[in-house]
Amino acid sequence: MAAEERKKEEKGRFIAERRYVDDQRIVEPEKLEAGGVDMSGRWGTLVLPRTIEEFDHSLFEGVKRLPRGGKVGKCWQCGNCTAVCPVAHANPMFNPRYLIHIVRMGYQAEIEKVKDYVYLCSGCGLCSAACPKDVDPQGVMIALSIAFKSGRAKGGR
Amino acid sequence: MTGTVLVVGGGPAGLRAAVDLADFGARVLLVEKRDQLGGAPVRWKYRSLAPDFTPTEEVMGPLIGFCESSPMVEVHKGSVVEGCEGSVGDFTVKVRNEADGTTTEHRVSSVIVATGFEHFDASVDPRYAYGRAPNVIGINELEAMLKEGRVVGHDGRPPKRVAFIFCVGSRDRSTNPWCCTVCCGVSIKQAIEMKQTLGDVQVYMIYMDIRTVGLWEKLYWDSMEKYGINYIRGRVGEVYYTGEKLLVKGEDTLVRGPFEVLFDMVVLAVGIEPGPGTKQAAGVLGLKLNEYGFIAPRQPNVHVDSGRDGIFLAGTCIAPMSIEETLSEGSAAAMQAAKVLKKTVAV
Repeated sequence: MAAEERKKEEKGRFIAERRYVDDQRIVEPEKLEAGGVDMSGRWGTLVLPRTIEEFDHSLFEGVKRLPRGGKVGKCWQCGNCTAVCPVAHANPMFNPRYLIHIVRMGYQAEIEKVKDYVYLCSGCGLCSAACPKDVDPQGVMIALSIAFKSGRAKGGR
Repeated sequence: MTGTVLVVGGGPAGLRAAVDLADFGARVLLVEKRDQLGGAPVRWKYRSLAPDFTPTEEVMGPLIGFCESSPMVEVHKGSVVEGCEGSVGDFTVKVRNEADGTTTEHRVSSVIVATGFEHFDASVDPRYAYGRAPNVIGINELEAMLKEGRVVGHDGRPPKRVAFIFCVGSRDRSTNPWCCTVCCGVSIKQAIEMKQTLGDVQVYMIYMDIRTVGLWEKLYWDSMEKYGINYIRGRVGEVYYTGEKLLVKGEDTLVRGPFEVLFDMVVLAVGIEPGPGTKQAAGVLGLKLNEYGFIAPRQPNVHVDSGRDGIFLAGTCIAPMSIEETLSEGSAAAMQAAKVLKKTVAV
């Protein structure tokens, strides 16, 4: 665990203005070989653009099949859930409206960035009471936490 | 004094006015610029009408059939009104047949102007590659494909991934600043029909706002909840043809994320704009155009009143509107013409 933490800290440490780049976008091969010559080193570091190049609904389809995730397809992104969410008012990384949208569209880099915050949901249910489309965001947060845990967040881009 | 009413334009509004007046007992002179009655819905082969997917023929067929066969309606196709003299109750109008160049003179009691609209020509706006790249089509062109039941790209293959781009030639200072009011609903209707026709297709609606007013809102809900159509809030900056697919560049503003995604087909929700027929008719009849080129009524809340006694307005020559509103406006204008008839001749 400690080694893994250290690795995360060291990721892309040669990049100028490192704090502006998300971890998820840094590609740093441990070993780089070209024509039989070992080229390992910091020049192998690559920062991927944040452009969305693909929509991938596989995770979303999976969430729809999970208990309490079935109504997620009704969401029209009004933000009522986030407006009434006590957690979202305290921590900007937890945003039910946003989580639903990035899962729907399969924005993998964003999912990687915020998926661990889904467990901050207190289960108070205010969102499900406020939702005008009967999406049951509280239930969807539970479904998402299962989907993320079971590794369904992987795959696609 | 005469018992005839001139109706300029043989689209939904003009036909509705003609049918109502003939039923009322008045003679109608129906002048249509094109060689076919029915206006835009027939000319562009609309498959069905929002919001309930009513086949276009069900709405337009009876109106066209009545006007084609009624002895009370004298239809002049391929013709335009060239001159108009006189005043309410007794106008003398000249109607020129564009095919043979002959002009006939008629005396009419009043005039109903229902010259309709044109779909925005998307080649005017280079952002969308319309006219330059294959598989970029307008919602007007998609209607005919849906009607045929054959939605395919230029290679004859059905598209797997389709983007609808909303507000093309609408709500845009570089083209037309107004909202066309119906293209959201029509695009969503088509997206549903595309799902029904093709089955295996991913549809993405790239929108700025969804304006499915009134009962049309059901289309929006159904498209999302029953048909799994995806919505991306943003506006497209560029469509680029890679030689194989269409690269659509935009921003998903809900996640602050610029996207560049490949599509097989791009459908442009082209707006409503006044056509040359409206300008021509306004010129001949001495009517005022507003800043956008639509005919300006005496005051904007009363569409029928053109500001000239005995000349009445109906339909999309005044402002963008749905077909249900257009039909009602045809009836409303017919009522005004009937009032003139009642004052001048016994019908």
